[in-house]
Amino acid sequence: MAESPEAASRPSTFARAWAKAVSGTSYLPMTQAQLEALLHRLTGQLAGALLAEPFDLRAGHRVGAELVGAHIASAEGLGRTVEVIQLRLVRDLGLVAEDVEDRMARLLAAVATGYARALRDRTLDEQESIRRAAMVARTQAERALRASEARFRHQATHDPLTGLPNRTLFTERLTAALNEPGRGAQRVGVCFLDLDRFKVVNDTLGHQVGDRLLTMVAERLCQDLGEHLVARLGGDEFVILVDGTGGTDDMVKVAETALAAVRTPASVDGHELQVSASIGIVERQVAGANPSDLMRAADATLHWAKAAGGARWALYDAERSRRELARYALSAAIPAALERGEFYLDYQPLTSLRDGRLLGVEALVRWRHPELGVLRPDSFIGLAEETGLIVQLGGWVLAEACREAEAWSAGGAQAPFVSVNLAVRQVHRPGLVQDVLALLRQTGLPPERLQLEITESTMMSTAEEPVRALRVLADLGVRIAIDDFGTGYSNLAYLRDLPVTELKVAGEFVAGLRSPAVGRTDERILASLVSLAHALDLTVTAEGVETAGQAERLRAIGCDAAQGWHFGRPAPADRILARIR
Amino acid sequence: MQRPDWAPDTIDIERPSVARMYDYYLGGSHNFAADRAAAQAMVAAVPEAPLMAQANRAFLRRAVHHLTEAGIRQFLDIGSGIPTVGNVHEIAQRIDPESRVVYVDVDPVAVAHSREILAGNDRAVVVQEDLRHPEAILNHPEVRKLLDLSQPVAVMIVAVLHFVSDDDRPAELLATLRDALAPGSYLVLSQASDDGRSADERAEAERVYRRTDSPLWIRSRAELTALFDGFELLDPGVVWVPQWRPDTPDSAEDAERAVFMGGVGRLGG
Repeated sequence: MAESPEAASRPSTFARAWAKAVSGTSYLPMTQAQLEALLHRLTGQLAGALLAEPFDLRAGHRVGAELVGAHIASAEGLGRTVEVIQLRLVRDLGLVAEDVEDRMARLLAAVATGYARALRDRTLDEQESIRRAAMVARTQAERALRASEARFRHQATHDPLTGLPNRTLFTERLTAALNEPGRGAQRVGVCFLDLDRFKVVNDTLGHQVGDRLLTMVAERLCQDLGEHLVARLGGDEFVILVDGTGGTDDMVKVAETALAAVRTPASVDGHELQVSASIGIVERQVAGANPSDLMRAADATLHWAKAAGGARWALYDAERSRRELARYALSAAIPAALERGEFYLDYQPLTSLRDGRLLGVEALVRWRHPELGVLRPDSFIGLAEETGLIVQLGGWVLAEACREAEAWSAGGAQAPFVSVNLAVRQVHRPGLVQDVLALLRQTGLPPERLQLEITESTMMSTAEEPVRALRVLADLGVRIAIDDFGTGYSNLAYLRDLPVTELKVAGEFVAGLRSPAVGRTDERILASLVSLAHALDLTVTAEGVETAGQAERLRAIGCDAAQGWHFGRPAPADRILARIR
Repeated sequence: MQRPDWAPDTIDIERPSVARMYDYYLGGSHNFAADRAAAQAMVAAVPEAPLMAQANRAFLRRAVHHLTEAGIRQFLDIGSGIPTVGNVHEIAQRIDPESRVVYVDVDPVAVAHSREILAGNDRAVVVQEDLRHPEAILNHPEVRKLLDLSQPVAVMIVAVLHFVSDDDRPAELLATLRDALAPGSYLVLSQASDDGRSADERAEAERVYRRTDSPLWIRSRAELTALFDGFELLDPGVVWVPQWRPDTPDSAEDAERAVFMGGVGRLGG
């Protein structure tokens, strides 16, 4: 075994040819010079292996593996390598050996085997790593999706200002609490909380302070009642859901804790704020309850607490709620009832105490309700006043009274005036004077035969316009009476400056005339009133006169006129008028 | 975890990925059947496709080598794909282990794979972002952490801009990146070009890539040169990638077969 003399320079020739052969078979992360240097080294190993004694297959395996390790790792790379070794290695390096062909075949087989093994391992490793990457990426994508869904869900169910659950989540929880099967016998409760006069905080200190206050209230409610669901429904409305209560006492405890939490003074941006809250409590058995009814009840109850002055809780009362609902339904039906002509007027005599003559009649509205029968004003006027429907209804009463009263003069005798109640809202309407004048013109009723009854409180208002309007009407001859005098402020000073012609003294004073003990005081009050009124050039009519004795004493005091059962109950106009013809 | 609006909800390995097709062209096995099928269809249409990928990869290697020799120690490789052999950090950190590299890719699998490969290397990271959102890349916490933008950075946009349509205003994207770079920074750019190609070949190549999530936008030498606005082009300018500072003169033969054109520009000042 020997090498030809020029062999030392020949490996580089071979390595260059080898490098050229494998170039482009796959990406080689090196320069051409680096590639040649690598292959030059491997050429030496191949030459050594070819000549080594004994022949060692492992040298060929190593060369194959090293090629793959250097990224000369493709089918083409192997093919070209086999080809170039077979064709040129022995010749370029001038290798001489007896069994060189045999050795070459075994060497090539060893290189190919080592190469294929390494390539296979590398392929499997790479497949494994890309699959792992795909799995990781998938897990991350799914996690991100879930996170974004969870974030979206959180945003959809929470209030951004306070971080509390919002109406959506609260409704979900309440619905779940009520609908969960098999717990019909359990009880749930809600405290519907609203800050008292929160609007004042917003209006005077700004929304920023208002928002900080809401956040602080939210934090405190959570801190003190964290075991329950505390939600913000919007604005300054919060609600606490108590699942599994033992009864109303439990709810009252929760409500008092909440009130105390709100009541604690709060320092917001340098402002010491002390606010209070009102709470409506509803507590009931799960069976038969539904979320919207329960929340409606809580809302109504909250309004009771507010109406009672705030800074308190109120407990839902089904009977009270039913009454209110009925009242509300009744008031809502007024416009339609007006259209259908369900209202009519009765009249009650106002009788002179001096000569028993019928001076006037007070118009009293009646509602012939298709289901409830005839309704007296006290069952619907109050609510009509609250809702503003009184303007429409009162306008009808005034027009109807004028229309009917005009016809009474046809009887020949001196016709009585008609006295009509005006609600506060009616008096405050800008068109009052025009409306009354138009009515008088249309009906032909003389102004002195119309008396308008207003309450003291109407006149206590600081507004000048109503007083001016009444003065215009009084100057035309329309009578102005103060109704229920003595029950309100009974401010005598203003009577001097007002265009009032008559005082109607409240029935409470007259009622006192029945019993001798109390009667003395009431009688003295009445006597003073009458003399004061007369001093102011006002006439006095006593309301609620039920007995002859009362009438007698009123006459003795000097009271001008009287109204009450003793002188006649309210009745249709023709029946009243029949008495004087 | 923040999920960018462009990131997919699920990972669908039945859909070819350009990153894994590129790996296939380079001789790697980091690919799935769908990638190989698409890559083989591409090779049927454009037989030089593997050569293109290899020539492009060699261009990247030479460019990084050159920039490292020129003193650059920070690299931002956008559209880095599957981190097969001859990565930027391998080349750069071999010359200076202090070199810092941020890889950016939109492909979540490529990013996951890069992350695995880079585990334990605290001077190379990968972030999942889109070349079309340069502000998001520049403001990414990992980018801010690893790269000091007050010092020169080499921005590599190699073999990826042909996936950005003209509607996405590549010139503006590059200008945004450029404006964030310190003087002495570099832009390395290469993409598929159609100088000297038949319309049929171009149409077929575009057809193949329409099956992937990244359709192909081929651009001329003039268009590519214009994208270096604000940079001084290093010699020899925008050329077929094998012609860019070849290791040996003969390796630049038949250069137009490489399909990719590229160049390196330096931000003056």
